[in-house]
Amino acid sequence: MTTIKWRNHLTAALVGGTFAFALPLAATAQVNNPGLLVHAADDEPTTLDPAQVEPGEGGETVILQVYDRLLDFGADSPELIPSLAVEVPSVDNGGISADGLTYTFKLRDGVTFHDGTAFTAEDVKYSWDRAIEMDLPEGNAGALADVIASSEVVDDMTFSVTLNDPSASFLNSVVTAMVASVVSQDTVEANGGIEAGVPNQYMAGNMAGTGPYKFVVWNRNENLQLEVNDDYWGDNAKLDVRIEIGGDPDVRVLGLRAGEFDTIETDPSFVADIEGADGVTIFKGGLLLEPLHIGMNLNIPEGSLPPEDTISEDFFHDPRIRQAFNHAFDYEAFLNGPLAGYGEFNPHYVPIGLFGYDASAPVYNKQNAAEAERLFREAGVWDEGFSVSVITEEGNLFALMCLVLKDSIERLNPKFRINVLAVAESVFDDAHASNPLEYAMWAKNADPAADPNFYLNAYAHPDGEWGEVHGFANGYRDAAKIAGLIDSAAVELDPAKRAATYAEIQRELYEDPMWIIGAQEGIVMAHRSWLKGFAMQPLWPRPSLKFSLFDK
Amino acid sequence: MQLRDYIFRRLLVLPILIIGVSIVVFTLTRVGGSPIGIYLSHEMTPSEVAEIQARFGLDQPVWVQYLQWAKGILQGDFGYSGVAAAPVSDIFPLKLAATMELAAAAGCVALFLGITLGTFAGARRNRLPDHITRIVAVSGASLPQFWFGILLLIVFWAQLGIAPIGRSDATIFASIDHPTGLYTIDAILAASPKAFWDAVWHLILPALTLGYGATAIIARMMRSALVEELQQDYVDAARAKGLAEKIVLKRHARRNALVPTVTVIGLTFGFLLQGTITIEIIYRWPGLGRWMADSVLRGDQGTLMTYVLFTSVLFLLVNLIVDVVYANLDRRVTLGK
Repeated sequence: MTTIKWRNHLTAALVGGTFAFALPLAATAQVNNPGLLVHAADDEPTTLDPAQVEPGEGGETVILQVYDRLLDFGADSPELIPSLAVEVPSVDNGGISADGLTYTFKLRDGVTFHDGTAFTAEDVKYSWDRAIEMDLPEGNAGALADVIASSEVVDDMTFSVTLNDPSASFLNSVVTAMVASVVSQDTVEANGGIEAGVPNQYMAGNMAGTGPYKFVVWNRNENLQLEVNDDYWGDNAKLDVRIEIGGDPDVRVLGLRAGEFDTIETDPSFVADIEGADGVTIFKGGLLLEPLHIGMNLNIPEGSLPPEDTISEDFFHDPRIRQAFNHAFDYEAFLNGPLAGYGEFNPHYVPIGLFGYDASAPVYNKQNAAEAERLFREAGVWDEGFSVSVITEEGNLFALMCLVLKDSIERLNPKFRINVLAVAESVFDDAHASNPLEYAMWAKNADPAADPNFYLNAYAHPDGEWGEVHGFANGYRDAAKIAGLIDSAAVELDPAKRAATYAEIQRELYEDPMWIIGAQEGIVMAHRSWLKGFAMQPLWPRPSLKFSLFDK
Repeated sequence: MQLRDYIFRRLLVLPILIIGVSIVVFTLTRVGGSPIGIYLSHEMTPSEVAEIQARFGLDQPVWVQYLQWAKGILQGDFGYSGVAAAPVSDIFPLKLAATMELAAAAGCVALFLGITLGTFAGARRNRLPDHITRIVAVSGASLPQFWFGILLLIVFWAQLGIAPIGRSDATIFASIDHPTGLYTIDAILAASPKAFWDAVWHLILPALTLGYGATAIIARMMRSALVEELQQDYVDAARAKGLAEKIVLKRHARRNALVPTVTVIGLTFGFLLQGTITIEIIYRWPGLGRWMADSVLRGDQGTLMTYVLFTSVLFLLVNLIVDVVYANLDRRVTLGK
């Protein structure tokens, strides 16, 4: 039996009732904490070191504010903009060599690190080489190491990189990644230096970048404080920042309503608690680049499934079964229930909002029970039925997505059984990181990225990250064709041709899906109305905010 | 047996108990699975997982892991907290101080209100004050702490804006040194009235919420014990001697009524420590309770083992103290037999 504690029903009922009696809360035009932005975050960072941080993890939020990278994304466009580099390299401006292998970055002069040292090309090389040399398993060094053949300091203000192969996604997904942040060489060398395979304890809890904010203090499990860098090379931030860490989500909502917090991290299920509150604005716009998906395993070790599972190890090898699951899922129930209506349905496997997304590509976005039944019958499992377990983390959207799947499938045929194993995060992570994976299905969200190549490589390529773990090659109708298309798009430098290839891939994957994509979650961020300059950019690490843009 | 000998004997046994507790704690946490999950992500290859295992010694046989853990503890190394992203030994004292400060404040609330209300009710048995105290006590014991806490937050923090949340004002907190980690004490040592007031002001709501539940238990026990004592012959004798009722109550009956109450107070300490988990989450109090709640949810076994070991040892010591106090209050109690 599965127990889901979605915001703890009892707590929600009692707190909701209390809210109702205690209203109206403080509704005032007076600005609280002038000069200070108080952001209530969901998660505590696990590290502040760009060489150690895992994509999508809480530390990326802080790294984004304190460190700079060579290039960045602006607040209102997916186009790249200069940051520590003074221009975006292209073939036209000579920044990219004709063969697409060498990238040359002209760097910004007169920039200083927070420790007072001057920024030069040496620091860029040091920072990137450091991440590659440390090569921490929890970090993202592979983003650099997998594509870079060599790097060179041309002069103090010029840095060049040569790639192993041409890459259409290098600037979007590597140069802008948090692992490519530029750290102060002096600070690192003065505090432990570089040791292969060993985290730098000092840098995990301290920071020395060139960004608009300086790191002040990290009080574990309490708050993390940043102050404005008055010597910033760009527009100075206006507000100091205090990030309040974790705590009860209801208290975050209460704090926002009371004006104690300026921005809070929430999921759409909290909108009802906030909507209409005086002095609170709910920002709704855009989509997170983290589609919520359920994986189907085609590489199940013999005898490893939970005892209640009756499926064979090759159950998902049949594309009709995978299609049937995709048709059976009740997308609208998931969107209108747990996501409170905030989200969209994206094709396999390019999120909406990214280059390469094809709006005309076929999408699984509506439950089609008749088609699901036809496919299950054709695959020969309709009469006999099956029981399969899906593992996920407890108490969040993933678990609710699994319950929607359970309801969708079991409603289709009483002989079908979905066992939702909602477990603690660490238990799930342990199971999820296993290779081979000992469950037939699991639910989570995709990692965010700024380029379609990342998603297609990770979630569709037969030799990619999940292709290998899940054994996509065992199930694709034409694995070589899909691999070829993804590989060719990855090195295609002509955007039009590249987009056309991605459009073709999306059509191929509709016929041969390896995931059930529940939805692409909508961005919902609540903030005090007195906050000026509020903007979100899903290409920035979650919660997709740059505090330096805000004012009160 | 002399009190000193008794304490000495108990302290001699203590290390054996601690070793036993440590084995139980280690075994129980490992029954729940490997502690590796907190450090993993799905992007990791098997070799990267193995690298993480080696980093934390999790590639060794379990008994070796226990010995390494035990050795680490003896050297002051309690492992690495995945939740706090720092060595447990760096963070534990800070969190412990925050929790102890809260528990002590709540304990003071509970002791003062519990004994006062219990005495008040016991001396006026079955009269209006007794009924009112019963209502207060029953409500304290039955109100869910998370609800009561949020209610106080809504009224005093969110609506009236007169009470703060968290442990301190970040700026004031940073303005003084923290040699003890106890904010109130550090403020006194720094001779900073502003910081002291900030500490007390932040303590009021969480201490009241936490202490209220314990108040109920102490008040009810105090009342029952006092009622019983007031029916004893020695009380009649004292009254017959012409002693004022106030003196009979305070010097005779109340002192004896405190004996069973002290036992309850000892047990209440555990109640307060457990209660800090809920209270710290609601009030964003940066203490052990909140840290442990996160650790439980995320499977941070290194932190959990330290916490359980610490509380077990603490309980052993508190029990010893309670026994000694008990013997002091009631001379009929003979230690060591």
